Amino acid sequence: MMDDFEKQLQAALGRKEPSPFFEARVLGAAKREARDRRASIRMWWASAVAAILIVAAGSAWQHQRSEQAREDAAGRDAKARLEVALRITSVKLQKISQKVEGI
Amino acid sequence: MEGAEPRTFASVLRAQQSMVFSIAYHFLRDRPAAEEVAQDVFLQLHKRFDEFESDAHLSFWLRKVASNRCIDYVRKRKSQAAVALDDAPAPSVDGQPQDHFLNRRLQSLIASLPEKPRMVMILRYQEDMMPEEIASAMDMPVRTVKSHLQRSLAMLREKIDRSMGDVR
Repeated sequence: MMDDFEKQLQAALGRKEPSPFFEARVLGAAKREARDRRASIRMWWASAVAAILIVAAGSAWQHQRSEQAREDAAGRDAKARLEVALRITSVKLQKISQKVEGI
Repeated sequence: MEGAEPRTFASVLRAQQSMVFSIAYHFLRDRPAAEEVAQDVFLQLHKRFDEFESDAHLSFWLRKVASNRCIDYVRKRKSQAAVALDDAPAPSVDGQPQDHFLNRRLQSLIASLPEKPRMVMILRYQEDMMPEEIASAMDMPVRTVKSHLQRSLAMLREKIDRSMGDVR
């Protein structure tokens, strides 16, 4: 139960109204904040998609490069084997040729 | 039917702006600062408006956030030193009706209380909240709320009696 002094306190602390433009100002600010928030979410998604694309393109390029390197290495290996085979064949032919000349 | 109308941010703002603004105004005693704090409270509400299921929850949240924002605002604004209770100026009484003088004097004395007791008094006498509700809104024990109320009331009674004696 409130006494007279407490009732006086209630009267002193009565509700006040903000300025007439307060409501419109808050609604405008809320709209702006929501728009900024949506824009920053869109920006975040765009950045995320761009990052994913860069990573994907980078790994595709890396994969292509390592495939190319493997093919080059295989080509060099085949060339080396062919050279060895030609050298052996040449030596054999030389020996045959010497034998033929000796007959 | 009025109860069947969907709750929108604009309708809540219209219905509750006076409550939020008054908490800030009585606490800060500065109209532009009170509007700034009230706007911050409503912008915070706007961000999480869909989380509230009932009007009671929403009102409780608004009072809680308004109280915290006011205390934070004063703490940040260090330059605005709190006026000590003993130094609180008595307004002029010339040509003022007694009730108006008393209200002004009470507002001035409440404004001179330390931050937490001041907010406790505002929530109790502006918003008619019970000590348990104030304790929950301000995250403090109920006995602390009751102690703030008792001490603030005793101080205010003494000061008001003294100033009334001076006027007489």
